[in-house]
Amino acid sequence: MRITSSLVTRRTFLNTLFGGWLLAFFSGSLYSLIKFAFPTIDKEPDFVVLFARDFLPIAPNSVKSFAWGGKVGLFLKKTNGAIFALKGVCTHMECNITYKPEEKKFYCACHKGWFDDNGKNIEGPPPKPLEFFDIIISNENLIIVKKGVNIDPAKI
Amino acid sequence: MRMKAAWQNWLEERYNIDEFKTFAASKLVPSHRYEIWYFTGGIVLFLFIMQFITGAALALYYIPHTEYAHKSIIEIVTKLHAGWFFRSLHYWGAQLAIAVLFIHVFSALLLKSYRKPRELIWISGCKLLGISIFFGLSGYFLLWDERAFAAVRVATGGAGDLPLIGGFIKTFLRGGIDVTGETLTRFYAFHVSILPLVTIFLIVMHLFLVHYHGMGLPRSEENRKHGETPFFPNIFYKDLMIWLVVLGIVVTMATLLPPEIGKQADPLAPAPENIKPEWYFLFLFQTLKLFPGTMLGFNGETIAIILVSFGVLFFFLIPFFDRKSSRGEKSPLFTGIGLAYMVYFIVMTIIGFFS
Amino acid sequence: MIRKFMLMIFFVIIETTTAFANQISIEVFPSTPYDRYIIYEMLALFWAGIIGLVIIIRMKLKEIERIQRMESTEKEEKKIPLLD
Ligand code: FES
Repeated sequence: MRITSSLVTRRTFLNTLFGGWLLAFFSGSLYSLIKFAFPTIDKEPDFVVLFARDFLPIAPNSVKSFAWGGKVGLFLKKTNGAIFALKGVCTHMECNITYKPEEKKFYCACHKGWFDDNGKNIEGPPPKPLEFFDIIISNENLIIVKKGVNIDPAKI
Repeated sequence: MRMKAAWQNWLEERYNIDEFKTFAASKLVPSHRYEIWYFTGGIVLFLFIMQFITGAALALYYIPHTEYAHKSIIEIVTKLHAGWFFRSLHYWGAQLAIAVLFIHVFSALLLKSYRKPRELIWISGCKLLGISIFFGLSGYFLLWDERAFAAVRVATGGAGDLPLIGGFIKTFLRGGIDVTGETLTRFYAFHVSILPLVTIFLIVMHLFLVHYHGMGLPRSEENRKHGETPFFPNIFYKDLMIWLVVLGIVVTMATLLPPEIGKQADPLAPAPENIKPEWYFLFLFQTLKLFPGTMLGFNGETIAIILVSFGVLFFFLIPFFDRKSSRGEKSPLFTGIGLAYMVYFIVMTIIGFFS
Repeated sequence: MIRKFMLMIFFVIIETTTAFANQISIEVFPSTPYDRYIIYEMLALFWAGIIGLVIIIRMKLKEIERIQRMESTEKEEKKIPLLD
């Protein structure tokens, strides 16, 4: 059996073509615009390199801040002289924290969150402990490394 | 006089002036005992126009860059002729606009002005409310001081707690994973270009629809006899008087209570003590505080944000849920819901303010 | 008596604004007493302007309403001959 006339009229064909073409055209254009508007995401750094002489001599029981990408990192020297590095951002809603030397605790002023000097969340809303980093000292450099990342200090 | 006649002739030869005149004369507004609430819309319109003007003036001097943003505002406030006043005017205009906008929305909600056939008026109005709040947040951030910085970090971080799209929204708003200079340029673009354009479009829609349907009547007034007042000039003159008084109030507030400027934002500095969002965010902030850190193994914040989103969505779509009002029947359930929304908003704002 | 009272309110307002100004580091309000005096004077003048305008508009509105009422009664009177 042969269908003598097409089931689709010329008019519907043209309308579908027109509509589809418009849709494709504008969604394509819009897609590129949105892609432009959406930022290219920069990752948090895996490590940062600092001058050791700026940080190692700080007084015991104090902190010094450094830039960890766009966020703040804290270099902590405990009373016994042990050194640590951690991300100075509250795990609750990302406010920057301060170190309170009298209490030996970290404090977040946004919603009154407290962490002890091992980064454990002990009071207030923060749901998780603070993130600590590894420290590598090579020659002049103090290298702060994200936990679980392997780097070769000789290459820096 | 000759000049005026000549000008009139010139116009009349080209346009059908009488058509405009009959149109103006034919616009009638029902008078009834709730009509006072209908003036809130006019007040908001006036305040928006004022924001456009003062904002345009401030934009002549503001520099959207992390290094200069804060400094340029200090420059505006201390060096320019009456700079402190115009910044203060822009600030207080915004505060008042949002306050009156809330009154306008709640009065529309309680008078059920959203019912058939005016659903789209409600929708466009709700969009305008959302945009105004975003206007407020972005404008606040442009100050680039400590508090604004922390507040925007918390607000955009909160949006990030939404499941699925949260991360996307957060990154889009921040222009990266953190609140940085990128965020400042972005918020500037929103504040001075994108939001104003959308606002103008929505206001035109809103006004056109209000004109198209005519002023709504509260259901209780529908069956009563009431007079009709011509819009031009009676209502227009009343509007004008109210606008003048509102202008006086804003100017007085701007003169007596200029908003302060904090220390310049520093992404590495600890957050300032006791940060509080602007008052129109307090109810949200307070709601989030009600939820514990973890609930049933889920992140409490996420649950809170989801619930709040549903609350907002329901508010937005109320005209479609309130079937009874649409049919012109009494709908005490939705009066209750409207009241509940209002009381919740007011109580939470007050608690947030004093805690 | 009233004058004294007004003066008192005026000074209370000034005191509170200066108190605010003292707390903050950046001057968001002119600090010399002379500038302040001028500003408050301007504010008073501004209000006088607003109140004047409002009064004028009210008077105009009253006048318009009077004419509208007259017109509507006239219309009703015109209807009367149709009745007989
Ligand atoms: S952001 Fe630190 S306690 Fe909320």
